[in-house]
Amino acid sequence: MTIPTSKSDLLQGTLDLLILKTLVNEPLHGYAIAQRIAQSSRALLQVPQGSLYPALHRLENRGWLAAEWDRTETGREAKFYRLTRKGRKELENEIADWRRLSEGIQLILEEAK
Amino acid sequence: MILRWFGRLFSRRRLERDLDKELRFHVDSLTQDFKAEGINEIEARRRALAEFGGMEPARENTRDARGTRWVEDTFQDIRYALRTFRTHKGFTAAAILSLAVGIGANAAVFRVIDGLIFHPLEVNRPQELFFIESSSAGSSRFSHPAYLQLAETAKPASFAVMTSPTTMQFTVNGVAELRTAQLISGNWFSLLGIDAQAGRVLSPSDDSVQTPQPVVVISDRYWTRQYGRAQSAIGSTILLNNTACTVIGVAADGFSGVTVGLPSDVWLPVTMQQAVHHNGNASTENADGSKPWVPQDGISWLAILGRAPESVDRNALLAALDGRYRQIIEARLDGIQDPNRRTRRLQDRIRITDASRGMSFLRRQLSPALTVLMTMVGLVLLVACANLANLLLARGTARSRELALRLSIGARRGRLVRQLLTESMTLATIGGIAGLFAAWWGAQALLRLVSTTSTPVPITLPLDWRVVLFGLGATLTTGLLFGLVPALRLSRPQIQDSLKSGGRVVETGSRHNRLPMVKVLVTVQVAVSLLLLVGAGLFFQTFQNLVRIETGFDRESVITARFDTRLSGIAQADLSALYTRMLEEAARIPGVQSTTISTVGPATGAARISGVSIDRYTPPPDEDTAIHEEFVGPAYFKTLGIRLVAGRDFNERDDERAPQVAVINETMAKRYFGETSPIGRGFGYGNTTDFQVIGVAVDVRVNGLRSDVPPLAYYPLRQKPAEYVRNLYVRTSGPVEPLIATLRQSLKVAAPGVAIREVLTLGDLTERSVSAERLVSRLSAVFGMLGVAVACFGLYGTISYSVARRTNEIGVRLALGASPSAVRRMVLRETLLLVGLGVAGGIGLVFALGRFAETQLYGLSPHDPLTISGMSVAVVLIGLISGALPAWKASRVSPTVAVRHDV
Repeated sequence: MTIPTSKSDLLQGTLDLLILKTLVNEPLHGYAIAQRIAQSSRALLQVPQGSLYPALHRLENRGWLAAEWDRTETGREAKFYRLTRKGRKELENEIADWRRLSEGIQLILEEAK
Repeated sequence: MILRWFGRLFSRRRLERDLDKELRFHVDSLTQDFKAEGINEIEARRRALAEFGGMEPARENTRDARGTRWVEDTFQDIRYALRTFRTHKGFTAAAILSLAVGIGANAAVFRVIDGLIFHPLEVNRPQELFFIESSSAGSSRFSHPAYLQLAETAKPASFAVMTSPTTMQFTVNGVAELRTAQLISGNWFSLLGIDAQAGRVLSPSDDSVQTPQPVVVISDRYWTRQYGRAQSAIGSTILLNNTACTVIGVAADGFSGVTVGLPSDVWLPVTMQQAVHHNGNASTENADGSKPWVPQDGISWLAILGRAPESVDRNALLAALDGRYRQIIEARLDGIQDPNRRTRRLQDRIRITDASRGMSFLRRQLSPALTVLMTMVGLVLLVACANLANLLLARGTARSRELALRLSIGARRGRLVRQLLTESMTLATIGGIAGLFAAWWGAQALLRLVSTTSTPVPITLPLDWRVVLFGLGATLTTGLLFGLVPALRLSRPQIQDSLKSGGRVVETGSRHNRLPMVKVLVTVQVAVSLLLLVGAGLFFQTFQNLVRIETGFDRESVITARFDTRLSGIAQADLSALYTRMLEEAARIPGVQSTTISTVGPATGAARISGVSIDRYTPPPDEDTAIHEEFVGPAYFKTLGIRLVAGRDFNERDDERAPQVAVINETMAKRYFGETSPIGRGFGYGNTTDFQVIGVAVDVRVNGLRSDVPPLAYYPLRQKPAEYVRNLYVRTSGPVEPLIATLRQSLKVAAPGVAIREVLTLGDLTERSVSAERLVSRLSAVFGMLGVAVACFGLYGTISYSVARRTNEIGVRLALGASPSAVRRMVLRETLLLVGLGVAGGIGLVFALGRFAETQLYGLSPHDPLTISGMSVAVVLIGLISGALPAWKASRVSPTVAVRHDV
């Protein structure tokens, strides 16, 4: 039995974008990704923790992320995600999409002024 | 991508473990961070979990992200279904058994139909093949010259000819037996695209008219049976009708010709016609049958098989062929004197018929019977499916609390429907697989039923994709259709209803009507099974009526040995001595009262027909006075038990020197001699009337039970000793069975060069003409009973279930003083109501559908009141018996138990 979950497309798409962007420089595990997003956005954005892992797995299944198990600095085993070539290309698309979207929203907001 | 999907599907356990580890790591890290802020261990973990939002939902959602979710769910549902099946063994066994029976019976009948009707020939591109037929009644044969002319007309198409498969006497290493051979043109194999698996097949160079080549190709079947697949068979000699031929090759594995149900073992060139004394199935017009047939235009004896690419317009092809055929006919007209015949010939047209599935007389003969059977098994499946739906509904209603509970804690309705459907599909699949296995031997059994011991029906029964597809289709339809209705009904949210009753199902008088669906289904089952039973009864009586038809000869105490002296290559001058030896040898067998021989014999399927002219009889213009002819040995009428109604039998004075005499049958007497006595009158061939009628015999069903009696004349063999005899009869006073083997042995001694086709009683031989009816009669009885059995089970299940649900109510009634017998009556009344409705519906069905079976019946109406009322009573009785056990159980309910009863 599943409890129906409804997330807006925008939110979901945004989370994907944030994850991909966070992983541009280095592989990270899930917890670190969440931390990094919070830090980078100066805590403006809180990743809904329950949605983080479904999103990660979805991106992995699409082949945008690859994952492997590795040791953290504290010596515990964790699943590290890294961006694949396909994921990198997708990130560019997502960024371009996002720019267009925010630009559009910006224009509308300015006109309303 | 797809590979990874499968990878995820099958490494589910590892994925689950990893997921668990990953999520735990996250929560642990979070806890560490809280601890670092100075919060104590327990509080830190609580906060971490709270922030994370619970492990389980995250896990669920991640599983969804895997994309394999629906498959996993389905597997889970199947596992769950199998688990529930294990706990409800009775229910499951019943459902699977009903389905296996239903699907098995359908697949079995379908398999026979497939083998006979749908299965294409296993040759190259069978869809390109066609037969050329002429529209003149019954004749689709052409002369060899006509074939050559037609073949050169329609160039884009290619043509080959063949005779129908013919019985020939095969002699290998001195052992003679009768088997089937076919004469073909040299290009026949290449037209079909059949190669040799050893040696070579016939080629156009083999059918040279000037020097006929005595070469033959044998079938794979015969190669295996006779030569044990030895290479040495190639080049060996085989005597066909006593003519030596050389085996040059073996046709491809599995190939047995293009005539379904009549496989050939040997193929030889048409130019060998004269050499092997081929004399079968020909119509002759201004031609000499004793000269080679190939060059003569007047002898039509060959079927034409054509092949044209599918792109070739069939209508243009037909037009070209027909135009040429006109010319052929017009050229022939000069030779025809009879003006009636001339006009009939001119009306002849050519037709093209599909040959992709080969040629079959069996098909035409069995099609109506198989249609009836297919309808019947379809009905059996319907009854079985109704059972499945009923059982699912009944069981599902018992589970309504579970379903309601799941709906109330958030299960989606679609998910429940999917699960219930998975359950019914699982059941249907198991039933379907069991059914296909049942069909595997069921079809063989079916064929055994059509075949008698002496005449197997040789259709190959490939369990091909059509049958599997059919089985799958039936299974899926069953599972979906009959699972969907219960699933939709059961998943309807009635949460309050089910939960409010506190888990206790309190059924009261009005509420037990909540199963109208189940009751409708049971009523339909009863109705359909009554229809099946009435059908079975009608077909059984039809067969009985047919078998009981007065044939005019003694069927029980006469044994016939069948052979063909023409094929043995014995010189005509020696025939008389051979007959004497055979008759004497047979007469020596203890228990034999009298013996005789004949050329055609009753119920053999053979006939010899000639036009005659009759003393003082002028035929109307469109009638050709044709009669059947039979040459008989001494004591023929006495041995076969055929009564003479007037005149005398032949005696030893009716020999070659005496005037020619004949005994005629009643039909001939009535038709050509009217009310006056035919004794002493004459008839004859050409314009003569030199045969004198000396006696009249009762009509004998020479063409089988269902056919009318033709005019027939018997002649004494004494006056024509060189006729080829095909039957020997012995009459016995004792048991017939032991005599059959003895007779075969005696004939082998008396006539070693004559292969015996078979030895059997005249009764068995006669029943062959109604083999289709026997098939329908036997199988419809089986299917009728299956239908009733399945319906009974449904009735029993429904009543039992209804009793179980009303246990509380019944307990209360008993506690308040109702007598057990009143309770029994109450339950039986319910049963009787359902059965009564069903029977009424069934009678309605019989009246609505009866006329479709009318042509299949003999000697009774499809609305035969005795059959209908008898079967109705039977169904009511069987229904009451099904209801009796639940009724008895109900009356034994202990009130204290019942009131506390919790379903």
